[in-house]
Amino acid sequence: MTFRRQGAFGVAVALLCLNGASGVIAQSDVLDLDRIKRATVFIMQARQNITAPIITCVGSGTLVSRDGLILTNAHNTVPNANCPGDLLIIALSVRPDEPPIPLYQAEIVQADEGLDLALIRIARTNDGRLVEPSTLALPFVSLAESDEPRLDTTLTIVGYPNIGDDAVADVRGTIIGFTAEPSGGNRSWIKTSAEIPGTMSGGGAYNQNGELIGVPTTAPVTPDSPESTCLTLQDTNGDGQANTSDNCIPIGGLINSLRPASFVRPLLRAASLGLGIEFLTASQQQQETTGSPTFSGLFFAPSVNEAGLPTTTIRSLPSGSTSLYLFFNYANMTSETVYELRATIDGILNPTFGLSPVRWSGGRDGGWYVGTSEQPLPNGLYDFTLFINGVASDSARLLVGPAEPAPSFSDIVFGVEDIQGNIAGNGFVLPVASTVSARFIYRNMVDGNAWAAIWVRGGAEIPGSRVEEAWTFGEQGTRTIRIQAPSGLLPGSYRLDLYIDNRLAATSNLTLAGAQDGRFARIFDDTHFTTADSVEEARTAAAINSFSAQTESIYALFDWQLLAPDTLWTVSWYIDDQLFFEQTLPWSASETGENFVMRITGRENIPDGTYRLELKLNNLLFGSQSARVGIGQLPIDRFSNTSGVQIIGTIFDTYTGTGISGAAIFIITEDYSAADFLRDWNQTQVFAEAITDRNGRFEINRLLQPEIQYSFVIVADGYLPITADGVQVTPDDETLDIPIYLTPG
Amino acid sequence: MTVIEVGREDRGGLTLRQRWSHYLVLIYGVAMLLISINLRDSILYATVPYEDVRAGIRAFYPKGWLLDNEGDYVFRVRDMTRPDFKTTIQVQIIPISVDSTARNLLDNLLLTRAQIFGQYRQYPRAAFQLSDESTATAVNYTFVAGQDDPFLESFPTVVAGQDIVVLQREQAVIVTFQVSAERYDQLYPVFQTFLEDLDF
Repeated sequence: MTFRRQGAFGVAVALLCLNGASGVIAQSDVLDLDRIKRATVFIMQARQNITAPIITCVGSGTLVSRDGLILTNAHNTVPNANCPGDLLIIALSVRPDEPPIPLYQAEIVQADEGLDLALIRIARTNDGRLVEPSTLALPFVSLAESDEPRLDTTLTIVGYPNIGDDAVADVRGTIIGFTAEPSGGNRSWIKTSAEIPGTMSGGGAYNQNGELIGVPTTAPVTPDSPESTCLTLQDTNGDGQANTSDNCIPIGGLINSLRPASFVRPLLRAASLGLGIEFLTASQQQQETTGSPTFSGLFFAPSVNEAGLPTTTIRSLPSGSTSLYLFFNYANMTSETVYELRATIDGILNPTFGLSPVRWSGGRDGGWYVGTSEQPLPNGLYDFTLFINGVASDSARLLVGPAEPAPSFSDIVFGVEDIQGNIAGNGFVLPVASTVSARFIYRNMVDGNAWAAIWVRGGAEIPGSRVEEAWTFGEQGTRTIRIQAPSGLLPGSYRLDLYIDNRLAATSNLTLAGAQDGRFARIFDDTHFTTADSVEEARTAAAINSFSAQTESIYALFDWQLLAPDTLWTVSWYIDDQLFFEQTLPWSASETGENFVMRITGRENIPDGTYRLELKLNNLLFGSQSARVGIGQLPIDRFSNTSGVQIIGTIFDTYTGTGISGAAIFIITEDYSAADFLRDWNQTQVFAEAITDRNGRFEINRLLQPEIQYSFVIVADGYLPITADGVQVTPDDETLDIPIYLTPG
Repeated sequence: MTVIEVGREDRGGLTLRQRWSHYLVLIYGVAMLLISINLRDSILYATVPYEDVRAGIRAFYPKGWLLDNEGDYVFRVRDMTRPDFKTTIQVQIIPISVDSTARNLLDNLLLTRAQIFGQYRQYPRAAFQLSDESTATAVNYTFVAGQDDPFLESFPTVVAGQDIVVLQREQAVIVTFQVSAERYDQLYPVFQTFLEDLDF
């Protein structure tokens, strides 16, 4: 830090200079663990009792904005059967080496129970007073820009290791792998070598630049599960004893899975902008779950295609393989169901290829996979066991090692066949027609092998669609088969299963929807935006592509055709090309109709920006529309920067050496000098300010940016003020703790 | 015979001019004292003009107070040198309906502030005579204020405040004075001066 002094208070400024110089430690691209720990909070979910709140669940969280947005897990914040509390208490590490102190109450702003992520906002002080977000200036962390953390990257995981007297802690580890799921592709989970205590779930995992790259996540299984771990802390039944008959707080086991920051970004964007999406047509019907959740039909695939479907099925993998996917069917699942995958190699538990207990992020019924990629699989006999709520559900075995080539089918692609016999279309979503073709690759086949093709719709084989015969098409090549219905195939989801010698060899899914538009399906039409006072008015209002600033809400409408109920579709909303909302849900309106209505709302108004709506099936785009609001661009958040140098310090009386309370420290923007400020005393000239506490301590609540020249003004009642111009920090400065002496005058 | 005079004053020692000189010195000293008191007062009570044409507000606020007009108020000034609560004067305009009364407005203020401030207590409301002879409503209150930064240690301060509410057409002007309760009487004249110069 360097000062170029101006004004009459050279001694004091020189003191600043000396301290600044002594505080230079290379930092900008290294982990500022102190700041991260200060931004890490302990969250207690509680329910109100007559006398005192009863703690129902606990976890860690991380401040991701200076005005009090906290990133954490959903399982311990959103009320559910395991965590039924309705009050969120936020405790901060006021001193880094001491347990956290409850200071605030929070409310849920955004949550995705399946992904097990939630954003909560500080709303009240712990005595119930409302907190105006703009008055908060809390330390916070930023999310990593890159979505591509690499294997062997060193991680620091920060959170609260238990519910007792320990302070916020950090655990080191490396990235040892990635776990794939349909909800997030190959990077759905980051696996780490660190052994993270369960109460650190919801905290943060940081790279060497101090950026948050993932959220340690585990979901404690239900209290009645044999593997449940929980602690009793309070006498909740009022019998005068705190024992096993009282409520206990689930804490979960060790964690080695991190939910990547890329899943957080849309939630954070929506939360910080206050944006919400409402479905006003055929609102999402909650599917009633009857019966116990189950897994079945486990099989393996070496890879998945762009639609998230297995390319083929295998019973063994050759040595040196780097990817493996376990597919299975699920039924009666909910977002509160906790599932786990345990993997053993030659009987020894291997956490790299397993998944610690996490919330279910799929639908109620359907197909799912858990996989690993970009990672060599050692030779051996692999056993995979799936658990639901801590109870083993189903298992499968696979051999990795030298293997003889076996007959196989793979890479099923669906399309519309032209007169030359070519398959055309986008592969997995086709227009409703009377004939659909499927092409697949075959290898190592021997004429005479028994093979079969079975078409399935709605879980049942389509009568008359089965092909069962001896193979007569040679050793390898491609083959096309088709399904026909003279009266036309019905819209909906189809599956094709291919068998060799009565063994499932390949399987893939197809959606039939929309009218034929050349080789492709036209499902959504007339996608447009408008503004209106009611839904009814919106249905007839004219389309608008440019809205004025301060618009309170915008309606989005579209028509649809031949879209069968329960077909999965995806709604994505972007602002300035950045995703802030995405949801995949079963279609619940009629098969064909007009004016499906959604509404986008803001906290008060819709922020300026360019908004885009995308409608997809099977990751394929079928409808899109954009509109501008205001200037068509998001305003810059001047407080969003987490890089820079923090200034803290103490102001002393020169003669007595005691701290001066109530002194004001102003950092003036580079456009003004200290003299300008002392002449005008205008808040618009202030970059940041602070007031000293009873000990004379202060913290500048905004980070100084390197290479920018600031001015300082320090005033206190009964003391000569200090001013300095041309104050500059360097990228190598870390948090500067400055003593400043004021002279009585 | 020799006459010796003992202890007799020399009455001719001070001339008329000397006597007037003494008087003038005394007068000059008193004048300087008055001038310096006036100078001190003009420094202490120096004001800066503020005008918001859009809001139709013209005021003079104490020199050296920090001006802020980026919040949900027309403007706010604070004395940042105060060691405890930073003495504040604020002018706010809020829209009201034709049916609104001062009581409705003050009730809303009470309910809002009771959510935000600790130990918020409002005292009986009273009519208040403005400098232009018009009548407003005044309400006094107290609350407890502290530092927002959870990482610093500060004792809370008892703050005393006064709101002057004027209803005109479909808007209400609320002029607020807040100061550490210990200094309320000492600093209230600053607010009185501000009100005398306020034009809206």
